[in-house]
Amino acid sequence: MNGRTDQLRRRQARLGAGSSRVVWVLLLAALALTVGGCGKKSSSTLKGKKGGTITVLTAADVDYIDPGETYYAFGYEIVYTTQRPLYGYKADSLVVVPDLAASEPQVTDGGLTVTVKLKKGVKFSPPVNREVTSKDVKYAIERGFAASVINGYAGAYFSVIKGAPATPPKTPQPISGIETPDDHTIVFKLSRPSGALIGALTMPLTAPVPEEYAKKYDDLASSTYGMHQVATGPYMIANNAAGSISPGYQPSKLIKLVRNPNWSSKTDYRPAFADQIRFEEGYADATIATRKILSGTGDVNGDFAPPPAQLKSILANPVQKKRLFFTPVSGTRDVALNSTKPPFNNLHVRQAVAYVLDRNAMRLTRGGAVDGKIATHFIDPSFAGAGFEAAGGYAFDPFPSKNHAGDVAKAKAEMKLAGYKTGMYTGPPVTMVAGNAGAAPNTARVVINNLGKIGIKVTPSFLSASAMYTEFCNVPKKEPAVCPNVGWLQDFKDAQTLLDVTFNGKDILQAGNSNWGQLNDPKINAAIDAAEKLTDKKQRAAAWGKIDDMITLTAVEIPWIWEDYQTIFSANVNPARQLWNQGGPDLSWMSKK
Amino acid sequence: MNSLLEIRDLHVHFRTRDGLVRAVEGARLSIDRGRTLGIVGESGSGKSVTALTVMGLTRFANAIISGEIEFDGTDLVKLPDNQMRRVRGRRIAMIFQDPLSSLHPLYKVGWQIVEAIQAHENVSRGVARKRAIEALREVGFPNPERRIDSYPHELSGGMRQRVMIAMALTLKPDVLIADEPTTALDVTVQAQILDLIRKLKDEYNTAVIMITHDLGVIAELADEVAVMYAGRVMERTSRETLFTDPELPYTWGLMRSIPRLDAPRPGRLDSIPGLPPSLIRLPSGCPFHPRCSYVMDVCLTTEPKLEESKPGHLVACHLPAEERQKTGRDLQAQYTS
Amino acid sequence: MASPTHPNEAPAPRPKRPGGGILGALAGPAGTVWGLASSSTFRYIVRRVLWGVFLLFVVSAITFIIFYELPNADPAQIRAGRHATPGMIKEIRHNLRLDRPFYVQYGYYMDRLVLHFDLGTSFYSEASVRSQIVSRLPVTFSLTVGAVVIWLLIGIPVGVISAIKRRSLLDRATMGASLVAISAPVYWLGLVVLFLFANDIGLLKLFGGAGSYVPFSQDPGTWLNSLILPWLVLAAAFTAFYARMARANLIEVMSEDYIRTARAKGLSERRVIFRHGLRAALTPLVTMAGMDIGGLLGGAVLTETVFNIPGVGRYAYDSIVNSDLPAIQGTVLFGAFFIITANIVVDIFYAFLDPRVRY
Repeated sequence: MNGRTDQLRRRQARLGAGSSRVVWVLLLAALALTVGGCGKKSSSTLKGKKGGTITVLTAADVDYIDPGETYYAFGYEIVYTTQRPLYGYKADSLVVVPDLAASEPQVTDGGLTVTVKLKKGVKFSPPVNREVTSKDVKYAIERGFAASVINGYAGAYFSVIKGAPATPPKTPQPISGIETPDDHTIVFKLSRPSGALIGALTMPLTAPVPEEYAKKYDDLASSTYGMHQVATGPYMIANNAAGSISPGYQPSKLIKLVRNPNWSSKTDYRPAFADQIRFEEGYADATIATRKILSGTGDVNGDFAPPPAQLKSILANPVQKKRLFFTPVSGTRDVALNSTKPPFNNLHVRQAVAYVLDRNAMRLTRGGAVDGKIATHFIDPSFAGAGFEAAGGYAFDPFPSKNHAGDVAKAKAEMKLAGYKTGMYTGPPVTMVAGNAGAAPNTARVVINNLGKIGIKVTPSFLSASAMYTEFCNVPKKEPAVCPNVGWLQDFKDAQTLLDVTFNGKDILQAGNSNWGQLNDPKINAAIDAAEKLTDKKQRAAAWGKIDDMITLTAVEIPWIWEDYQTIFSANVNPARQLWNQGGPDLSWMSKK
Repeated sequence: MNSLLEIRDLHVHFRTRDGLVRAVEGARLSIDRGRTLGIVGESGSGKSVTALTVMGLTRFANAIISGEIEFDGTDLVKLPDNQMRRVRGRRIAMIFQDPLSSLHPLYKVGWQIVEAIQAHENVSRGVARKRAIEALREVGFPNPERRIDSYPHELSGGMRQRVMIAMALTLKPDVLIADEPTTALDVTVQAQILDLIRKLKDEYNTAVIMITHDLGVIAELADEVAVMYAGRVMERTSRETLFTDPELPYTWGLMRSIPRLDAPRPGRLDSIPGLPPSLIRLPSGCPFHPRCSYVMDVCLTTEPKLEESKPGHLVACHLPAEERQKTGRDLQAQYTS
Repeated sequence: MASPTHPNEAPAPRPKRPGGGILGALAGPAGTVWGLASSSTFRYIVRRVLWGVFLLFVVSAITFIIFYELPNADPAQIRAGRHATPGMIKEIRHNLRLDRPFYVQYGYYMDRLVLHFDLGTSFYSEASVRSQIVSRLPVTFSLTVGAVVIWLLIGIPVGVISAIKRRSLLDRATMGASLVAISAPVYWLGLVVLFLFANDIGLLKLFGGAGSYVPFSQDPGTWLNSLILPWLVLAAAFTAFYARMARANLIEVMSEDYIRTARAKGLSERRVIFRHGLRAALTPLVTMAGMDIGGLLGGAVLTETVFNIPGVGRYAYDSIVNSDLPAIQGTVLFGAFFIITANIVVDIFYAFLDPRVRY
């Protein structure tokens, strides 16, 4: 999942408009040294007081309220309390546990068949009320391919299923490769082995959807099932007797979750302490919202991070410090160099840029050390055991410099290897498209300054994040030479989700492209193809680790930070474990004191 | 003999950022019931300020007023505000130069007249409205029942001035002060307005103070005339005497500058050389001396007093009386031939 | 002695509005201007309304063009998400009609708008734009009305008193304070006010803070409490501005000739100021107030943002950030509608107030 960091951060950027932002900039230097993330994980226990209402403060609204469409942090916070995908993660770990599934998936036929058994006795919320069957999971995946629903990751991970449509049908169509021999068994027949598919069984798309109830909404040009959705998790969005969630969802204002009367703790490992969860939306100013949490009139931050100035004061306060948690966002922010445009079609020039970038200064634009660790390759520390060590861990740093501040001498040496006798670039200025909100333009300016040290002049444009992506950086024909504000996050704890779409030459699209470097290296492409087929966890980790290193050395994209997400809890709640793939809290584990 | 209104040694000074403005310096005037006093002078001569002071409309924070204005036994200068208000509009009324800007643009003329009535008399609106209609009829409106609901901008200049006159006279004041009432109107209308004033004045025996710079108006209407210059009354006499026998160089200048239909066309109009003086930095001695063709040494040092030169004729000038009378008569003879 | 002649001059020509045209000529002599039954007033209103409708068309076309021309996010790509196949993007583009020429899209939009009052569906959420705006109107309305009441009830009297007591200490103090209020950026003022007075995060816990808004129907007490700080912040600059305007107008009016006439009639100074002075001085403020109200009904973006009030202004801001064309179009049209309507209403009202501009 890409750009979600930017979307995440885009929300942050919108916050702190006006004077807040000025304060940020002023405090950056001061903030630099201190801190270092606490990296502490919250204690997730099954003990806690039942009852009460938890209030989550957010800046904006969900991307989509439909669980089959949402692809964004905030949406996930809701989906993982109201829906039950086939698999989930054990508390505070990378261990996959069955959620709707009853047991581990069975992989047979050399990886071409994956069989999952479902739990019995899981029911849909009102007004559907009946027990969940395997057909509901089948339908849930099928609808993700339809044009009326458009799930963002269905194509990436589920198109390996036989019969998955190549072009989106207008309405959900059956997929022959998903079989349901009985009500509690689902079988996936694949066209080739895919470790990613198994990992993708943790995604919201696998949460069951009742076809007889949803079809009428999914058959519209644009599905409205989201506004009538039913739940299988401990909570549901408050709805009326007809099934409409208008009582519980006022777009951009409020989302109200109440207990799902048909949920049974006997079939679930979630504690579900609170009786009600309220998302109060529209807090454009992060400082106000953070203060509310600190004063206890809000319980936790949703889609924004406390501004650096406040992080500093929280960390200085021993009582508040205990309620601040850092979780990796599981991905990187990168500077992309378009390898089809000179001078970045020359490997040595790219490597020179990788040497010259002052990653420390770039991190300062985001608040300094409190924002995360400097990245040296793509698989980040949260993938410990799933590829991070295999990629060399912290030690793999092919473009080192003192304090990560950049090494101009080595950069110039690379430039000489590229044919620039003096070590300084002598060609025409290069184009750049950067973001115009939040820290993005400041980061871009650091990059511009650094490029200047090897003589590369830049003509930048600053646009909104969505314009930057959808009009320029994601469109190979219009892509500039440098896209300094890109980033990519995991979809689930598999390194393929970090490296495939972003660096596979096959995945270069004419629109919506995420291979910003336009890397098309046959050796790397082949390695990726081979690695995708592996199903053994250790083998995958090793293979993808190697691929990470190969990609890093091409310097088509230069990762510079492994960011942490900051969560602040009020004094009225017991901090809960973080969602495994978001950094936001898993609300089914939060309880009021 | 007690005049109806007598102004004695009136001084009106205004403190401004640029200095002390001596608008009126020792003015001396009087008027009897039913008579018309014309006050003639250039802009800045103090004639308007005198009139406004009589009405009590110069009582600003920065104004210094001294002297006496005796009206029917009461000194208006010392009269408290609330009592002055009962005099103003009721016993002494005033009409102004530009009737378009002098009437409130957003209220109907009838409403404005009714307001004037109700300010001083305890009558119902219906009664006041009837009186307003009658007042409009008296000043010459052919259809006052309809016109009463007109707005000022819907009337012509002459009609508007009639409205002002109606508004001023409806309460039958003892004195009517008219400050350049015809200056903004054209000549034919001018004549009508003056006729109207004369008619009403005769009917109600109102004393009229007519302020103007136009000697033609004086000739039409005034019984007595006062010539003011630089805040002072410099000459005071009957209308006939002023035109046949003026004794003030300034007045001679005024007379000379009127073009005459019956005289041969001069190459150039005679005007008084120079400009009116600054009221902040007045010339020493006689204020007219910088422009006077007959200036003598004494004029630069000593202010001439307003004294009787012949019966009923007061003049403030250092020229010996016989000389003045001779020169004046000669000049007038020249001009009236 | 000649008897006075009848005033036989022609009445002064009535000041004509520019652009009288054919309709103006047809209007004929307007004997009675009161009542909408009067044909010339009615024609005037009709003419203004037609022009207003035309303006709305123009505004919508311009918004459409701007969205097309400026480098803008591609809604189809945003909707398709990452990992999108080219087929998906194409399908979405077709669904959203983005693959048709601009005038076809515009034609479809105007058809829906004019015939069905349908403002389309938001690109971002599945909600209908019209229902979103309509549900937020009462909120913006509450915010606007409260602010208007405050700035009229405080600003104008303060300005009048300052004019009457010109150059006094009071006058200098109020005019100085008004300069501060006008200069203070709304967003900053909002933050300061929250950090001082909000009952959740403020120093003195007095009034409802950000996000405390509830609809009146739900809880009038909380509704009122949540709006006090936003009202004060929104009204601050207006109050100051209206105070200064009222003061300046009154000072200027009090030096007019008709004030001198009023005094000469022997009226009390109080009456002169209030009946003669204010009547003339405040009339232009009516026009201003009307325009300001019209503008605010389109949404007070900054105030709604900092106080987290779910009004139309907030919706406009969100839709711009999300590159949501139908929502942007809808909020712009709504804003334009209110401003144009306010303009017409104010002009008509002004004709009642000032007889010199009547037809």
